[in-house]
Amino acid sequence: MTNGLKHLVDFERGLINRRIFSDPEIYRLELERIFARCWLYLGHESQFHEPGDFFTTYMGEDPVLVCLGPDRQIRALLNVCRHRGNRVCRLDQGNAKDFTCSYHGWTYSNEGKLVGVPYHKEYYFEELDKEKWGLIPVPRIEQYKGLIFGCLDAQAPPLVRYLGDMAWYLDLLVDRRDGGAELLEGAHKWVINANWKFAAENFVGDMYHAGMTHAAAVKSGFAGSQTKYSAGGAGFQISVANGHGIGVRWIEGGDAAVGSPSPEVAAYLKEMLPEMERRLGPVRAKMMSPVHGSVFPNFSFLNGSHTIRVWHPKGPEKIEVWAWCLVDRNAPPEVKAAIRLHYLRRFSPGGTWEQDDSDNWIQATETSRGATTRRFPLNYQMGRGHERIQEGLPGRVGDFFSENNQRNFYRRWAELLTGERRDGEEK
Amino acid sequence: MSSAAARELRPVEDEVLREVERFLYWEARLLDERRFHDWLELFSDDAHYWMPVRRERSLSAGTAEFADESGLAFFDEDKESLRSRVQRLDTGMAWAEEPPSRTRHLVTNIEVFQGDSPSQVLVFANFQVYRTRLETKQDFFLGSREDTLRKESGSWKIARRKILIDQTVLSADNLSIFF
Repeated sequence: MTNGLKHLVDFERGLINRRIFSDPEIYRLELERIFARCWLYLGHESQFHEPGDFFTTYMGEDPVLVCLGPDRQIRALLNVCRHRGNRVCRLDQGNAKDFTCSYHGWTYSNEGKLVGVPYHKEYYFEELDKEKWGLIPVPRIEQYKGLIFGCLDAQAPPLVRYLGDMAWYLDLLVDRRDGGAELLEGAHKWVINANWKFAAENFVGDMYHAGMTHAAAVKSGFAGSQTKYSAGGAGFQISVANGHGIGVRWIEGGDAAVGSPSPEVAAYLKEMLPEMERRLGPVRAKMMSPVHGSVFPNFSFLNGSHTIRVWHPKGPEKIEVWAWCLVDRNAPPEVKAAIRLHYLRRFSPGGTWEQDDSDNWIQATETSRGATTRRFPLNYQMGRGHERIQEGLPGRVGDFFSENNQRNFYRRWAELLTGERRDGEEK
Repeated sequence: MSSAAARELRPVEDEVLREVERFLYWEARLLDERRFHDWLELFSDDAHYWMPVRRERSLSAGTAEFADESGLAFFDEDKESLRSRVQRLDTGMAWAEEPPSRTRHLVTNIEVFQGDSPSQVLVFANFQVYRTRLETKQDFFLGSREDTLRKESGSWKIARRKILIDQTVLSADNLSIFF
C-alpha cells in the first residue's frame, strides 16, 4: 500500500490521483499519519472564563474534551470512557468539575483523573488501579496567541516550529491589535458530503474560484466595497513549510479598507491601521484586506470575513464544518456587531458566499469514485514554475491566481502519508 | 425561552386564527413556488428575520441552548438583506440554487395570540421543510417559528420572525432556502 502511495501526488507535474478523495484505505491512513500526528486546532482561549469551563471537539475522528482545570491549566483529554468507550461528555460546552460516564458511572475529574468507580470496593475488591485508568490525555497542547492547538503525537516538535513561517502570517488575524482576538459566542456546524481536502485546499490557495463560484454574491452586492475578484491587481499566494499557505491581497499605499464589509468596519480599519503598522510592521500592514489561508491539515480562515474554521473529517466523503467568528478583542461593540453580520450573511452555511462552495466539493468527491474517471488525474498546474522568493515575504510566493499553495499542501500530505518526513522537519 | 413566556397569552378570535393560518399557508406556497419577490412583500419594512445557532447543552442550561442576539446565527436579516438574497438568486449564477432546490414547506401547530398592540398578533408554529435537489440530495429541516404579524393597510405583514431549528449540527451542506 505505502509503495503505491508515492505516485498519488506528482508534485513536479502538478497532477493528483483522484483516489485520494474517496478511498477508505487512504482515509484510514490519513487518520493515523496526519490527524494523529499533526498539530490540530482545538479552540480559542476566549471560550474559557471560569475554572471548570469545557468544550468538546474532535481530533480526526477522536472525540476530545478541552477543559480549564482548577489550576487554570488547559488540558485536552480523549472524550472516551476507559471502561467501555462511551463518550463521557455529550455536551458542546459547559462548566463541570467532573464527568460521569452515563453507562456504568465511572467518573473523571476535569484534569482527567479517574475519581469514581461504582462498587470499587465491593466488586472490584479495590484491585482496579484508578491511577492507571484516567482519561487518555492529548499529550501536547500549546497556544499561539489565543489559538489552542493539540497534538496526539508526543514526539511532535513544538507548535511554533510546526507553524514555522505561518505564525508570522497568522498574526494578521490574532495580533494586529493590542489585546489580540476573541471569538463571538457560538459556532456554525454543518455537514458537507465531500472529502475534507477539497475544503482545506480551497482555503489554502484558491483565489481562482472566487469570481466564478461566487459570481452571484459578487454581482448582488455581497462583496466588500471595491473588492475585485478578477485576476488583475496585486496579490500573492504564499506557501510555507509543512503544507500551510495563505493568499493575500496587497494594498500598496492604498486604501486600507478595500474590501471591508461595511462603512463601520471600513472606518474602523482606517482608524486602527497605525496600530497594526506599529505592531506588525509596514509589510504586514499592506495585507489588511481579505486574506484566506489554511494551517495544515484542516484549520482555515478568512481574514476579511472574520471566520476561522475546522474541517473535521467524518469518513472519506464527509466533512463536519465548525466555523467561528473571530474579532479584535478591543474593537468597539458596534464594529463587532457589524463584523458579525458581515460574517454570518456571507460565510455561515446560509451565507451568500459559503452556500455556493459545497456543491463543487461534493461533486468533485463523488466523481472521484468513477473507475474510468480515476484513471485521469486532477490538474494542479496553474503557475507551476512561476513561484519565487520575494524579499520580505517568508515562503514561496506565487501570483494571486496560482495553485502554488495547493501543490505545497498536497506535497506535505504525501510526505506524511508515505511516512517520508516527520512533522516539523524543514525542507 | 420565548419572549412571550413571561406574560399571559390571550388567544385571538377564531376568525383571526383562520386568517393567520391562511396567511401562513399562502406564504409557504409562495416559497415552494419560488415566488421570492412576492414572498418578500409579506414582510414589513422594519422586519427582523432571525435563526440563532443551537448548542448541545445540559437541561439546566435552559435558554442558553440558543446563542443570544450578539452570538452567531444562521440568519439575522432585515428586509434589505433579505431583498439582496432574493436579488442574488435572480443573477442566475447562484449555483447552490441553479438548478434550484425543490422545497415543501409544511407549517403546523399554529397558535395565535394577541400581540403587544391591537394591530399585532403573536404566532407560534412548527415547520418541516423538505428540500431535494440534484438527483438524490435530500434535506429535512424541522423547528419552530415565533412570528409577530402586524396588520398594515388591511394586510398581514411579518414584522418579526424567530426561527428555532432543532439541529445543532445541520445535516445539510447549506441553507440556500428560506424558512
